[in-house]
Amino acid sequence: MSLDIVITPEANNGKRISIAGSLDSNTAPELQQSIDDEINDSVNATIIDFKGLDFLSSAGLRVIFKAKKMMDGNGGKFLMVNLQPQIKKVFEIIKALDGMNVFKDQAEMDEYLTAMQDKVKQGE
Amino acid sequence: MIAVDIDVKNTRSITLQNRLEDSIKLADFFSDYVKTYKIPDDAYNDLRLVLEEAFINITSYAYDRGDSQTITVDFNNTAGEIRITFNDTGIAFDPLSHTTDNIETADHCEGGMGIHIIRSLTDHQQYHRVGQSNVFTVTKHYTKQNNE
Repeated sequence: MSLDIVITPEANNGKRISIAGSLDSNTAPELQQSIDDEINDSVNATIIDFKGLDFLSSAGLRVIFKAKKMMDGNGGKFLMVNLQPQIKKVFEIIKALDGMNVFKDQAEMDEYLTAMQDKVKQGE
Repeated sequence: MIAVDIDVKNTRSITLQNRLEDSIKLADFFSDYVKTYKIPDDAYNDLRLVLEEAFINITSYAYDRGDSQTITVDFNNTAGEIRITFNDTGIAFDPLSHTTDNIETADHCEGGMGIHIIRSLTDHQQYHRVGQSNVFTVTKHYTKQNNE
């Protein structure tokens, strides 16, 4: 039970963190280290892609929420996509999905990001 | 430490050290257990998370750091019900007394989520201090698979 972490750049100074495997008490420090290394004030949006994640514990949740807190503090966006049913269930148990940007798949998230970009353009 | 595995009347047990990495041994043991007893996937997913949360609670709170001790986990499976009992000899620690009242407004960057998850995913939880041991038991009912 390991955790695979892939971090890729996104448009407009965004970062996508794709995680696969198990995010638990043993692997949470690895994700925390990656976030500490890659996410800073210059990042405008952090996307957590849960597509390959099949297990999430409270230790992993804490890392996710720390990343969200950091983005909120920087005025950046924090988005989550591709949550598998058993992963979504963990967020639902702790009643943490309200007020979060959660998308069932890439298409739904793209639609949201396009709408956000259109709003910015209209405001220019 | 070698895990001890016994099988008496649908009960199997594993003995672990109070160290973080032994949660992997526990998960592997349970993965084999559910195959033996044909426990459905949804119950497996729920209980795998319960095991992790309960085990980490014990390793985090019941022992002083560096104090090597054993934790025994017993699994009992009977007709649509699985009962899991954690035994440890750490300091008295009742996990059920550490509940976060308003989970939706809690700071999720802090602790307190584990016991809420355990309560949510099991049907019954019980803690006793027996002599010098903490005994924490959770029970979950499940619907048996049709192909059994």
